[in-house]
Amino acid sequence: MGRRAAVAATATAVALVLASCSGGGGGNDDEGDGGGGGGGSDPDATLNLALSQDVETLLPMDSNVGDNISVLDVVYDGLVRYDPETTEPYNYVAESVETEDNTVWTIKIKPDLTFQNGEPVDADAFARAWNYAAYGPNAMANNYFFERITGYEEMQGETDDDGNVTKEPEADTLSGLKVVDPQTLEVTLTGPFAGFGTMLGYTGFFPIAQECLDDIEACAVQPIGNGPFQVEKWDQGVGLTATRWEDYTLEETPEYGAIEWTEYTGEDNWPDFEAGNLDFAVPPPAEQQAAAGDPDLQERYVEGPGAALTYMAFPLYKDGPWKDVEFRKAISLAVDRQGIIDALLPSQRVPADSWVVPDVVPGGTGGTCEWCAFDPDAAKAALEKAGGWPDGEKLTIHLGQDATEQELFKAVGDSIQETLGIPYELDATPDYFARRGARDFSGPFRANWFPDYPLNENYLAPVYASGDAKNGNVEFGYYSADFEAAVKAGDEAATLDEAVAQYQEAEKILATDFPTIPLFVAQNTYYYSENVSNVVLDPFSGEPKLRLLEVTNG
Amino acid sequence: MGRYILRRSLLGVGTLLLVMFVLHLLTTFAIQLNGNPALAFFGEKVPTKSQLAAVEARFGLDDPCYDQTGNPCLGPFVERLGQYAQGDFGTNLRGREVTDIVATAAPNTLKLFLVVTIVWFVLGMGLGTAAARRRDRSADHGIRLTSVLIDAFPIFVLLLVYRYVFAVPLSGWAEDTFGEGSLPALWFRPSFDDDHPWATLLVPGILLGLAGSAAFIRLVRASQLESYAGDHVRTARSRGLNERHVVTHHVIRNSAVPVVTAVGLTFTEALAGAVVTEGMMNIYGMGGVLWEAVRAADVALILGIVTILAAVTVVVMLVVDIAYAALDPRIRYA
Repeated sequence: MGRRAAVAATATAVALVLASCSGGGGGNDDEGDGGGGGGGSDPDATLNLALSQDVETLLPMDSNVGDNISVLDVVYDGLVRYDPETTEPYNYVAESVETEDNTVWTIKIKPDLTFQNGEPVDADAFARAWNYAAYGPNAMANNYFFERITGYEEMQGETDDDGNVTKEPEADTLSGLKVVDPQTLEVTLTGPFAGFGTMLGYTGFFPIAQECLDDIEACAVQPIGNGPFQVEKWDQGVGLTATRWEDYTLEETPEYGAIEWTEYTGEDNWPDFEAGNLDFAVPPPAEQQAAAGDPDLQERYVEGPGAALTYMAFPLYKDGPWKDVEFRKAISLAVDRQGIIDALLPSQRVPADSWVVPDVVPGGTGGTCEWCAFDPDAAKAALEKAGGWPDGEKLTIHLGQDATEQELFKAVGDSIQETLGIPYELDATPDYFARRGARDFSGPFRANWFPDYPLNENYLAPVYASGDAKNGNVEFGYYSADFEAAVKAGDEAATLDEAVAQYQEAEKILATDFPTIPLFVAQNTYYYSENVSNVVLDPFSGEPKLRLLEVTNG
Repeated sequence: MGRYILRRSLLGVGTLLLVMFVLHLLTTFAIQLNGNPALAFFGEKVPTKSQLAAVEARFGLDDPCYDQTGNPCLGPFVERLGQYAQGDFGTNLRGREVTDIVATAAPNTLKLFLVVTIVWFVLGMGLGTAAARRRDRSADHGIRLTSVLIDAFPIFVLLLVYRYVFAVPLSGWAEDTFGEGSLPALWFRPSFDDDHPWATLLVPGILLGLAGSAAFIRLVRASQLESYAGDHVRTARSRGLNERHVVTHHVIRNSAVPVVTAVGLTFTEALAGAVVTEGMMNIYGMGGVLWEAVRAADVALILGIVTILAAVTVVVMLVVDIAYAALDPRIRYA
């Protein structure tokens, strides 16, 4: 499962469980809270989290699924962390991150930090992790994050169409990565990129210890972190236990003692929550009404905006009515987003009216999409202007095989059919990604984007910029020289704020070209138990901030 | 008897090889027709050719025959057989040994099956025998009606109702009455708990056993009725043997042949039920692992697990055949 698909799927799956386990001491009723130290947490309290069984590795360079990330977020510390309010980065392991031209970045690392095995967290620790991830043959999931660093190309090697290696990589280290002294790392990018400092807090940029590099396979299941928790034991497929690392020196560490994750096959852990074995859960659709009607549960409900954007793309590489922007407009205007959400997934989605999701990344504002409101008359007018839909033909909408999304897109198709009279059929294909990559779609298709780091650029450049004027981007064949220029201007901007503003200009070009139709934005919701408090959902990942939680033994 | 066992064993090995070969052909064609499962690794990202090649090599999908539609890919098949013969079942998408996964998952499934089998025998033999002895009386009608009712509730309905309607209040009640972490509280946990496998497997096992027991009850009843009407039973009775002796030695034993066969067949059915049960009760077992592997297009894991399951099924069938022959000498000479 790819990251985005998995994140969408696990948005509901991630739930935190407080073990009201056998052993634990303490009183039964209300807050026993005998412990000192304040903060509202019991130092011996255990937090049990539910994980999806998709988690297969805990190697930071190889972890890009929502659940791995939430585990690694307490096991490792990155150079920067993100403000839970604004999602803007602030220095954490880094003392400073500086650049003059957005191309050469100097990162100073705080002194005297160590890994849980005693090794120093220094410039080498970062360099060895990044070099390992960037080396093509290692096939790390986060490999592509390093493509902006000089020397990345030389580490990839080449293969022919049959997948035979025609050229071995020339280098096994990034030439753009220089360890100046133990506390200083100098990074040279292939071109200016104002958002590089923002990327540094992502899981793929975490440091690793030499001991980890020496035995990568062991390290993938038994990480040697530098964060406030250390992994005690991971029975893959069953459960994972992490305990607080007593020698942790930085400030962001919670007060409770341990976290226990139980792995779940599906997303169905609501009865466990109800039985008191879980602290956080999302009810399945059939139970939502009951949960919403329970006043006790409503007091322990939290919701926040999500970052995943679901949109409809068109095969612009193929001839068809969709090549006309008026046609795409007509389709967009014909979709009753709010009505669909109310009928199918109330409180789990909100209508999208922009290409960058508002409130979850710097630069995201709502309302940039002028034609994203439901307007049947305008839709009909636009369709007429586009020359109508060919008689007797069906509009095929392609998507993957996810039950919820199929229901959602059936409603989208119905809405289009009802408004514009265009008959449609859904093609839920198990080979969605392969077919999309091979440009094998004969009609519009569902697409979903979950950003990798909190910056509006990440909703834009990776999806729409390809640099390929002739063919456009692989997925849907879009190309705009203006768009690419605006992104480039953002990359080169002197400050992050100016860059964000430039990227907003790029989004405006999308709003005019209208290559894709924003449809829905995921909304994150959780119910939590009486044992936890200070629940803050990260606006970016949508998950509870584990480091801010307060936990007592119930 | 020795020759009979040998013949059956050879047949079993042949069947297993055939299953493996068919499985290989199916997955090979699926890869050739549907495209590259290595792409699943990248999700929504479009990988570069070299990244794709690296991942293909990692999953053993780099043989060029996978790109040639119609090529049966015998090379990789023979290679894989060789690896299997050495106990190497390969790794899953993330490099975890399939044998390691099975070692974690199989014990849970076996525990589940043990509970299921006990439930079958207790219900099937108990109720079936009772119904046969009291033929056409109210007990018989009641038992037959019950078996029809059981059939009307497939396992997923039973589990759904149990989890959402009964488990939460029952576990709450058990915790209040017997204390947190007490055995009754664990029995009614809505999901499996790895720290207490037996206690948390009991109820799902009973439910799965119950769901599969209906056919069993009817089979035992029918086959015992046949025995009751048999000449040998009449002879035994006329020799003055007491009824208890007649039932245990002449009725139950003689009616055991079809029942043993049914155990074999129901075993495969239970395997299917285990996929549902394990999925719903969050038991990390063979069924659940297979389900996830299929969902994630994890070819190596699917092949490994299905091969192991096929081997187990073949062995169970073999045991059934042998038990069969032991119970009824006519069979081994046939």
